Amino acid sequence: MLAYNRQTLDNLEIKEEAEKALRKDCIDAATFKAIEAAHPVNFYTPNPIIKIGLFILTVIIASFSMGFLTLISLEAIRNESGYAGLCVFFGLVCYGALELFIREKKFYKAGVDDALLWSAIGLFLCALAIKGNTSLSTWSICVLVLTLLATLRFADMALSGVAYLAFLAFVFSILVKLGPVAKTITPFVIMLLSLATWFVVRRLATQQPLRHYKHCLTVVEVLSLLTLYLAGNYFVVREVSNAMFDLQLKDGQSIPGAMLFWIFTTVIPFVYLYLGIRRKDAVLLRTGMLLLAAIVFTIRYYHSVMPLETAMVTGGIILTGGAWALISYLQTPRHGFTYLETDEPSLADKLNVESLVIAQTFKPGPQTPSNDMNFGGGTGGGGGASGEY
Amino acid sequence: MNIHLFEKLRTEGLVSDTAVQAVKTEESNRLFSLHWEIKTLLYLGVLLLSGGLGILIYKNIDTIGHQVILLFIGLLCAGCFSYCIRKKAPFSWQKVISPNAFFDYALLLGCLTFVTFIGYLQFEYTAFGKAYGLATFIPFAVLAVSAYYFDHLGVLSMAITNLAAWMGIAVTPFQVLSANDFSSDPIIYTGVLLGGILLLLAIISTRRNLKKHFTFTYQNFGTNIIFIACISALCVFGNNPMLWLLIIIMAAVSVYTFKQAFREGSFYFVLITVLYAYVGISIIVFRLLVLTNDIGAVYLGLLYVIGSAIGVILLLINLNKKIKHARI
Repeated sequence: MLAYNRQTLDNLEIKEEAEKALRKDCIDAATFKAIEAAHPVNFYTPNPIIKIGLFILTVIIASFSMGFLTLISLEAIRNESGYAGLCVFFGLVCYGALELFIREKKFYKAGVDDALLWSAIGLFLCALAIKGNTSLSTWSICVLVLTLLATLRFADMALSGVAYLAFLAFVFSILVKLGPVAKTITPFVIMLLSLATWFVVRRLATQQPLRHYKHCLTVVEVLSLLTLYLAGNYFVVREVSNAMFDLQLKDGQSIPGAMLFWIFTTVIPFVYLYLGIRRKDAVLLRTGMLLLAAIVFTIRYYHSVMPLETAMVTGGIILTGGAWALISYLQTPRHGFTYLETDEPSLADKLNVESLVIAQTFKPGPQTPSNDMNFGGGTGGGGGASGEY
Repeated sequence: MNIHLFEKLRTEGLVSDTAVQAVKTEESNRLFSLHWEIKTLLYLGVLLLSGGLGILIYKNIDTIGHQVILLFIGLLCAGCFSYCIRKKAPFSWQKVISPNAFFDYALLLGCLTFVTFIGYLQFEYTAFGKAYGLATFIPFAVLAVSAYYFDHLGVLSMAITNLAAWMGIAVTPFQVLSANDFSSDPIIYTGVLLGGILLLLAIISTRRNLKKHFTFTYQNFGTNIIFIACISALCVFGNNPMLWLLIIIMAAVSVYTFKQAFREGSFYFVLITVLYAYVGISIIVFRLLVLTNDIGAVYLGLLYVIGSAIGVILLLINLNKKIKHARI
């Protein structure tokens, strides 16, 4: 099923683990060399930064080739279905090229292969869009089938996430058609499905035969946690049912069972946080942190507990104080937690992402109304001015 | 690390028992790092606090009065800086490790409030009169000195954006393309000049060994700014001598950064130099094709893009291999 050689994938994992062990001084360099020689990896995977360049260039080539094809077959196309056919044809070409590159050139997450895979899927869906008049259920089932097949064959992380979301969209579209009772229970069905997915995915992740899909399963795990929360979130339920089911709610009017959804909205993130800390699970912990913000936004959207600036200042004080307290609490590691960085080198460190974030969010302060220096001639004197301060 | 996997390697005879034991101890002693989680919280906290205080002051300006606010901002700034001066490690032209994470944010807050303080003075009291440039130059100077004195990359980035603001352009990552009107000539010249200055600073940092780890930040801002300015010149300039000068500058910068990046084994700078140079050359090709005024040029253009992009892909793959080999 997988396009890649399973043995080589296993060797890749062994090599990565051995590299970690080497960094931690558990094995010496000679052992590492021996392991590498016994488990050769012949995949072509460039440096992650070069990969981005290859990805962009492949997308450029694919789109310009499509343009060129359109131009030379302009006479033959004549109508919409002709163009849809061209899309399918070129999608197949992309797919063929992808298979060829993987088999002959051993590309593995090289940027080129990702770009070709996504272009192929995009082109197939384009053909569907050109045909027009497709209902939500047809759309979602088409996306689901395409991305599921692609995930099974290429273990692509992004596509596995899309497949999961398409699955939920399909269930949703079926439920909406079934009638009023089904509509009322839609949020609960989605929540139950998400929860079931979470359990199944956690189960599957430990299965040995599925080890090459580990990263895909992690993506689905994160998404299932998010959809579980969103399906029960008061804001989502109220606004979606208002828009989709013509409830015609006025401002301040509530949906049936509001209390239940408010409980979901406020309790679920804390459950995630608790479980994340209990089990030392980074996925649960980070999702929980993210969703804390969702609680604040949901509450503030419907109830103005306090003015924005007071909320910001209090929030800021709590966050800064809490972080400070945690840092001093974890000065010496406690309960298996530490404040120290892991020594895994990360791309974000190498590119100094932190300093760029600071430069972006804290814009240059005082901006002169006009700049009569020679520099810039005043045309861009207010460039970047935001008057926030 | 996967203990199961190392057990398997032991049965294959590739690793010794002691190594497997070492992996097991390492794994059982492994701590769960909350570093990035806590840092994010701290960062959000500072952001919310500064934003919230800003709005609070703005809304209550009538009751508080300007002097009180100025005094408050000044005190906060002085407090932050005095904390940093007390806590800081002795100055050195080498990299200095910050004493704790709180220090970084205290310094950041101090710098921010200083910028606000100067801005407030100028806005409310026009303290610098008509010398508008001075109101942006002073924060830049203070930020630059702080960046070196306290060794803080974030403050250095702020100093660079302030320098750019003083010269009249925005260089924050998301605004470099949207907030600047790159179709105007002066902006382009300023961009080239600023990029040149930053590249020069990068060279000085490395060659003289003055805060060598600042090189990346200088070079990152410098190359991006100078290339964007040159590429916009390629798009908007008519057939005038300045266009030729800028093409020469761009070619020279490309060759220089490429060689430099290749020597240092920096994939990032190799990639952006190749991509910017490719975009530049493509623009020239397209301008030439437009000159022919022929429908065949459209086909030729499309074929050019497809063919040249394949060429660049092969070039990148090749370079990737070479850099990797050079590193080992």
